[in-house]
Amino acid sequence: MHSSPFPSPLPPSSVGSPSVLPWSVGSSSANPSAVLTAQSVTKSYGPTVALAGVALQIGAAESVAVMGASGSGKTTLLHCLAGIIAPDAGAITLLGPDGPQRVDTLGPEGRSRLRRQHYGFVFQQGLLLPELTAVENVALPLLLDGTDRRRAEAEAAHWLAVLGLAGLEARRPGQLSGGQQQRVAVARAQVGAPSVVFADEPTGALDSRTSEQVMTALLETTTGAGRSLVVVTHDERVAASCDRILELRDGLVVHERATLPQQDAHGQQVLVRGQQVAR
Amino acid sequence: MRTATRLSFLLLRRGGDASRMSLALPVVAFAVVTALALTVLGGARFFFTIEGMDAPIYQALAALAVTLLLIPLLTLCGSAARLSARRRDQHLSTLRLLGAPTRTITSMTVLESTVLAAVGTGLGIVGHVALAPLLGLLTFHGEQLGAGNILLGVGGTLACAVGLLVMAAASAVIGLRGVVVSPLGVRTRSEAPRMSWARAVAVVVALGAGLLASQALRIDQGTVALVSGIVVAFGLTMAVLNLVGPWVLGLVARVQVRRAGGRLVAERLLAARTVLDAPKAAWRQVSGVALTSFVAVFAGVGVAVTNVMAAGAASTEEDLLLVDLRTGIVLTLVISFVTVAASVAVNQASDILDRRELFTSLERMGMSLESMDRARRRAVLSPLRVVAVGSAAAAGLLVLPLTGMVLLTDPLSLVIIVALLAAGIGVVWLALRATSPLLTRVASRV
Ligand SMILES: Nc1ncnc2c1ncn2[C@@H]1O[C@H](COP(=O)(O)OP(=O)(O)O)[C@@H](O)[C@H]1O
Ligand SMILES: [Mg+2]
Repeated sequence: MHSSPFPSPLPPSSVGSPSVLPWSVGSSSANPSAVLTAQSVTKSYGPTVALAGVALQIGAAESVAVMGASGSGKTTLLHCLAGIIAPDAGAITLLGPDGPQRVDTLGPEGRSRLRRQHYGFVFQQGLLLPELTAVENVALPLLLDGTDRRRAEAEAAHWLAVLGLAGLEARRPGQLSGGQQQRVAVARAQVGAPSVVFADEPTGALDSRTSEQVMTALLETTTGAGRSLVVVTHDERVAASCDRILELRDGLVVHERATLPQQDAHGQQVLVRGQQVAR
Repeated sequence: MRTATRLSFLLLRRGGDASRMSLALPVVAFAVVTALALTVLGGARFFFTIEGMDAPIYQALAALAVTLLLIPLLTLCGSAARLSARRRDQHLSTLRLLGAPTRTITSMTVLESTVLAAVGTGLGIVGHVALAPLLGLLTFHGEQLGAGNILLGVGGTLACAVGLLVMAAASAVIGLRGVVVSPLGVRTRSEAPRMSWARAVAVVVALGAGLLASQALRIDQGTVALVSGIVVAFGLTMAVLNLVGPWVLGLVARVQVRRAGGRLVAERLLAARTVLDAPKAAWRQVSGVALTSFVAVFAGVGVAVTNVMAAGAASTEEDLLLVDLRTGIVLTLVISFVTVAASVAVNQASDILDRRELFTSLERMGMSLESMDRARRRAVLSPLRVVAVGSAAAAGLLVLPLTGMVLLTDPLSLVIIVALLAAGIGVVWLALRATSPLLTRVASRV
């Protein structure tokens, strides 16, 4: 048996079962601890409906996996939540350090500042600047915001060390393996203390062993440090390492399930919660 | 071949914005190369048709100008070829996935590169014909050149066009063998070249020879001696510059990396790292200006000195020659900067296209694109400044007593050259600015 830090994949649950609960996931009854709240978010591209009214809540220090078939609207949802694009309708609220803030009504400039100050991002490929060293790549967001170079690089070096990359600070991305590059990207997402970290298929380009390492690192540095994490993934095992899994189909959250707390010593495959979402 | 043609057109039609852009860029680059090459050669050819006592001098000078402009033109040609090659890499992976046989890919690549070059060359010929009346207004030997003396003629034009096409096709074939081109995206991450012993010795020897040549310059032996002195000193010093150039740029960048700080720390750091990452590429991009800046000061000083020495006593012939030399210096400088600007525009545009994923991701992270843009501009302009000012200063120092004399007796001629250098840097800045909208468009694509 391999010694995976991941719990085993959860069996597909009650999708399609007749038991429909009378409440919908993330309904507007606001959870006071929710860092990010979305209500009836819609987004269309011409005739294509990418999001058909999504409601959800992301708790503080919670990790949420977003799953679903290709084209089901995962990336669009992530982009709306992260303020990369503006939804057509609906409300998205971030409870940042300075109180609640509407994300959906911000203009491009405001969204850009929001992303810079309150969010962290990890993409499928590291997308690091090839000329910069690892530590400079991680420090870049701070440098761009005017942080003193020595302080920025010290914070960057700290995160690299947390991610097990101590000693590799002066390497350039070309001199790092794919998994190491992705961990540099994870470190970059942590500088500046974001409230939420978004990751769109962060392990999509990695083999399963490396993807476990990256996912563990991502969880440790986010939820482990009190930050929330939203991960789009195709990988059941990646999803199972999160607190909660949302399943999208045709632009709707059709299913939500909580995963087993990771510290469960018996590794029992118990479905804590799983229900068909009322439409 | 028919499959190749059909596939080429399919990929062309299906290609997005960026794909069309990577088609347009080599075409534009080839057009600029062709127009400038034909015009330079046409102008030079004219001097080989003139007769009289001064004819050999004019011919030597024309040959010198062509030699000077050859390097920036070849650089531009190389940029165009590299761009075509990059399309090949994209096609290769696409077609491999589709299971196309290697032969189809080969024919497609050669076909495409040649067609792109042909279109560009055609446009360049049109540009050459359009430029001719304008440059025909220039006065040489006391007479207007006239458009007819700029045009290279049918034979020469055809030979030139065929040459360019062969070069394009050849570089495509060579690229296919994987010998020459590495995809732009995968930059070779070499350290700044070290100064080897051989290099150092070569530099010292060449410097000594250059000094001797400039020594010969000081004893005025008439114009022929002046010109041949210039040619020798110039050739040797250029060899030196080519050896030292990348090394110096790397050195400067290394210091800049260490020193980067202050309000624009991210931009400064990124720009310096870009140069340090590939000092040879940075040098290649701007070295065309090194040649001409050097010669502009060197020859400019020479002309001014001769002018002063010969004041009153000179024949009309010599007066005319000096005026023509000035015109030639200005013309060479202008053309070299235009060529470098074109090559910078092509390189930068293709660089942006290469890194569009990266720029998109940075935009998504909320990083300022303006900062990225500034860093990109700085990564070109900083080496350009070092090279243009450095070469000009090197030339000025090489003939220091003469430069000092000219500063006192004919400061205007030096002022003009300095103004031209500044304007040249401005043209390159404009070329960089022209590629900024592409960065914005590429990055904000959702
Ligand atoms: N920029 C866009 N323009 C047009 N259609 C888009 C765009 N982005 C996404 N879509 C469409 O919206 C739907 C959802 O896409 P996406 O959110 O990328 O899905 P997923 O990430 O789950 O694969 C798909 O049908 C896709 O084709
Ligand atoms: Mg997606």
